[in-house]
Amino acid sequence: MSTNEFERFSDEYLNSFVDDQLSTDEKSRAYAMINQDEAVNRRVCELRKLRDLVQLAYKHPPAPPSQTRPAQSGNFVRTAAASLLLGLGLLVSWLQYHAPTPSQDRQAIAGGGDRALPIVSADAREIKVLFHLNSGNVARMKEVLDEAEGLLKLYGETGQPARVEIITNGDGLNLLRAQTSPYAERVQAMRARYPNLVFAACQNTIERLSAHGIDMHLLPGTIVIDSGVAQIIQRQQQGWLYIQV
Amino acid sequence: MTNPIDFLSLFGRSRELKSALEQSRARLYRVAYAWCHNAALADDLVQDTLTKAMQKSAQLRDPKARDAWLFSILTNCYRDHFRRQRDMDDIDELELAQDGTPETENSQLQIIEKVRAAVARLPEGQRQVVTLVDLEGFSYIEVAAILDVPIGTVMSRLCRARNAMKSQLLREFGKAPDAQGPQIRRIK
Repeated sequence: MSTNEFERFSDEYLNSFVDDQLSTDEKSRAYAMINQDEAVNRRVCELRKLRDLVQLAYKHPPAPPSQTRPAQSGNFVRTAAASLLLGLGLLVSWLQYHAPTPSQDRQAIAGGGDRALPIVSADAREIKVLFHLNSGNVARMKEVLDEAEGLLKLYGETGQPARVEIITNGDGLNLLRAQTSPYAERVQAMRARYPNLVFAACQNTIERLSAHGIDMHLLPGTIVIDSGVAQIIQRQQQGWLYIQV
Repeated sequence: MTNPIDFLSLFGRSRELKSALEQSRARLYRVAYAWCHNAALADDLVQDTLTKAMQKSAQLRDPKARDAWLFSILTNCYRDHFRRQRDMDDIDELELAQDGTPETENSQLQIIEKVRAAVARLPEGQRQVVTLVDLEGFSYIEVAAILDVPIGTVMSRLCRARNAMKSQLLREFGKAPDAQGPQIRRIK
């Protein structure tokens, strides 16, 4: 390897490549060279993974204390309660389930999908219910919405802490697709009314349908999970009640 | 400490700058937290930064350079803090580990804590460079200007930081260096 080639593959050079610091010409040459050399390719992958890990680690830093300080002494209780809720919300979103290296494609496909799937139960008394919808049958969709809403209403009235997730995959995902959902308004209304309700769409299904050129824009607020099946297994291990509709 | 919002209102500065500064608050806080791993200190540093940014707003000629300018003020605030207070935080007191809670059983949280601990262990200069590049996406030239060091120093610090983290993290995570965690697998 010549000195010139060695410099190209130095750590500095590969870092510059990963951080997009090379000129367009340099970059295209680098692509060609890196693709020809498996060892160099692996180093590039490692650097990218490190960058992704750092981004993941600080995506949701702990809430700044100023957000939990009372603004005015007269409103102390109200402010403290609001701050506590905010802190809890931030904590929950920090604990959210999301892929550590979300691709831009995924974000683009997911459209408005931006909510977090909380993983950790904040309250031991909390009831956690997971509805699984894999059918495109409109009656089934209505059934799952009715069931979820009934539960949320009941828990809301009785003060029972609860979380409900509706996980869709396969044809069930039509419930959350902007173009196909027969209950778009109802989904949005339920989401607005019940902050402890999450609608999730399976990334595998999204990818499969996208490959067939199907528009996969989701209703705003839908979260995207890697795999509906994996999520269901994980939730059951975490003590969630599983209801297949 | 003066709340920057009150401070801004008090001086009646332009709504645009006020809004731009407040929009930068979360990003400044994230980087400040990554530098010191102390939520209260990071918050104070950001408040100081925003206050100074308002005081020095006349210095900012080019609005496009606002981000780099803000982060250079944060750098100065951070430096000043430790110049005033030489008793550095002990690593054991950092708000990193939350052992003993059920949350730590979750693999993703463990990964987050390990990465933060690895960043916290980096020498200060390396920590600043790697977080400015990775979290804010600043170019090496911008980082050099923000930290007031030569660009060669930026590159060498970045290399050393990533090499150190690579040896700590990627080997530790073994076959799952992409932090997916064992129980989240793609099932086609």
